[in-house]
Amino acid sequence: MARDDTIPRRTYLKGAGATGTVALAGLAGCTLGGGGDGGGDGGGDSGGDGGGETDTGGATTSGGDADPLTIAATVPETGAFSSLGQDLMRGYELGVERMNQNLDRDVELILRDDESDAQVVREQLQTIVSNNDVNMIWGSFSSLLVTAGSAFAENQNLPFFGVAFAYEAPHRNNNYEWTFAPFPKSRDVARSTLGTLELIPEENRPSNIGIWEPNSGWGEEQADYWEETLSDAGYNVVLREVFEIGSSDFSTLISQSQSAEVEVLLSNPTPPGGITAVNQMQSNNWSPQMLKFVRAADPTAWWSALGQKGAYALMCPGWVPGLTGNGNAALRESYNATYENDSQYLPVIVGGAYNLTQTAEQAVSAAGSVAPDAVRNALLDTEFETVIGNFTFEDNGLPTEGELTSPVGQWWDGVQRLAYPDTDSERALDFRFPIPPWSER
Amino acid sequence: MVASDLVVQSVANGLLLGGIYALAALGLSLVFGIMDVVNLAHGHMLMVGAYIAILIFAATGITPLVGMFLAIALMFGFGVLLQKVLLQHVVDEGLEQPIIVLFGLALVLQNVGRILLGGDARTADLGIPGNGFDLGFVFLSLPRTVTFVVSVLLIVATWALLQYTKTGQAIRATAQNRTAAKYMGIDTDRIYVITLGIGTALAGAAGALLSMIFPIDPYVGWSYLLTTFAVVVLGGVGSVLGTLVGGLVIGVSENLGALFLGGGYRNVVSLLIFLGVLLVRPQGLFGSGGGS
Repeated sequence: MARDDTIPRRTYLKGAGATGTVALAGLAGCTLGGGGDGGGDGGGDSGGDGGGETDTGGATTSGGDADPLTIAATVPETGAFSSLGQDLMRGYELGVERMNQNLDRDVELILRDDESDAQVVREQLQTIVSNNDVNMIWGSFSSLLVTAGSAFAENQNLPFFGVAFAYEAPHRNNNYEWTFAPFPKSRDVARSTLGTLELIPEENRPSNIGIWEPNSGWGEEQADYWEETLSDAGYNVVLREVFEIGSSDFSTLISQSQSAEVEVLLSNPTPPGGITAVNQMQSNNWSPQMLKFVRAADPTAWWSALGQKGAYALMCPGWVPGLTGNGNAALRESYNATYENDSQYLPVIVGGAYNLTQTAEQAVSAAGSVAPDAVRNALLDTEFETVIGNFTFEDNGLPTEGELTSPVGQWWDGVQRLAYPDTDSERALDFRFPIPPWSER
Repeated sequence: MVASDLVVQSVANGLLLGGIYALAALGLSLVFGIMDVVNLAHGHMLMVGAYIAILIFAATGITPLVGMFLAIALMFGFGVLLQKVLLQHVVDEGLEQPIIVLFGLALVLQNVGRILLGGDARTADLGIPGNGFDLGFVFLSLPRTVTFVVSVLLIVATWALLQYTKTGQAIRATAQNRTAAKYMGIDTDRIYVITLGIGTALAGAAGALLSMIFPIDPYVGWSYLLTTFAVVVLGGVGSVLGTLVGGLVIGVSENLGALFLGGGYRNVVSLLIFLGVLLVRPQGLFGSGGGS
């Protein structure tokens, strides 16, 4: 990895603190970061989903040093992704609360609004790191913002965790050393799309696939995976058209999809773009039989903006109500207790964010230290058990191929519920297919 | 090879969109043609009109077709106030000072919008049941058809106001020669106030109609400013008919560009037309350097 010659602020603070300690105490030396081996067991339940579920929430015990853990993070409280900012923040807050209970150290999360802007992500992280002895960084939402945060973390030599980050290319192209994504990636999204299609009885299964590809790196990567995976499985990709991110006129794409007789429409637009597209599908009186809008259909704003028009839509947000084990029951209980809620269907981003905190907790516990090198080594050596599943990391921070299933949620009656994979949870639902014509909705 | 039915559908979609583009550009064209003021805040005025309709719809469920009238009234008042308080002090100081004032106003409107309403995009519904009209060879979306019809009606009404009323005659006289109009007893300061009021009201009306088709956020003003500029340059400054034709051409070219070149090139086509017209016929298709 390319390294600049500046001393990271964190290292400077450590060094200055150590020097001061030596001078004052007259010690012969000072070492930073204990080595101790981690005692983390990463235990989660593997039980069912009923009210009596015993669920430890991935409780860990921490060996090694007792240095405080300071985490820097930004979330999009305003701007294009603001509809998800609160859920991301809640997932983090619940996780930090759990970490403070489970780890033998103080855990502090310093959060700032990044305004859904990559430049602001960097500015905010710079401010936090300059003024605090930060041990790790947690990402924002979407590949755009997460990669901005990860670039900063790589420069600072700090472990970085990012969710809502399906884009794989940065892991391979940027020589990541410090960036880890406990989150299903583009390849997993394509596999789960195929899995969802296979839930449909063969005689009713659609064959014509349409892909609306946003003109971005991730848009192209995801479209490539969809085309390759579904073509190999015998489906016909009858349409693949590029559109401009931020576009608000989908009428041409809709006409092209109708003309090509698209039955399954796949895309990964921004949330506002996805909402606009569905509105325009209705006003153009066209609808696919199956609609999957990765990332666009994630926020609760989807339903508040579209209502019943948004039903049937599928999404791959990393976590969906209906997943079981590994702390899912504890997550639901703590969410409802903390936010005075009695919903069985948590916002999906909360689960994804909470899974990030479990990964961080288990890494620190395994490392027995908050020292960046120790945490990174633990990230590379540990099997994690979080609310999204069990997984390890490849050297470049990708979850090891094939270990994570990207859960597919479906909007139904105003909530997102697990449609794929099958679980025995009452929060899951039988995949609703096909989407009826607008005249029948 | 693109199917002919797709081309027909794209042209139809483009024409429907072009109508509202024309309405959105008309206020800019009038203010430019009559006052010699380049209104850099025009797109943001459109955004404010859209938010008026959206907020009324969100609070009461009243369709933006009705909310549009409140947007027109409020934005007319805003335009009058803007001219009296800010612009009349700089309007005779050359091209630059009004541009700077209006650029500042655009930033103020954008940031006030963001603070008061957040950054999320919002839309409103037409509130009329049904999807549209299937004519067999083409499908006309209901919201787009309604906004097209209303846009054309408002453009015709504006043209009739300029053509057949005393105020309209005074506006045209002021556009042709402000000094001569003054000597003929026309209160040109009042005409400027009315002109900016009409221009701002038209932006508000266009915004209210657009809120039923496209998402609106506080940052949307810049992109509509670019589109409306392209329409004005193509049609000719100050020409009502030119603005209508310019809007239709831009709407159709955007849709055909997206169809033949891909969605990523939608705006490139209209920008190329904008630059081409500037090079070949700077006064636009219907422009003569004078008013309508």
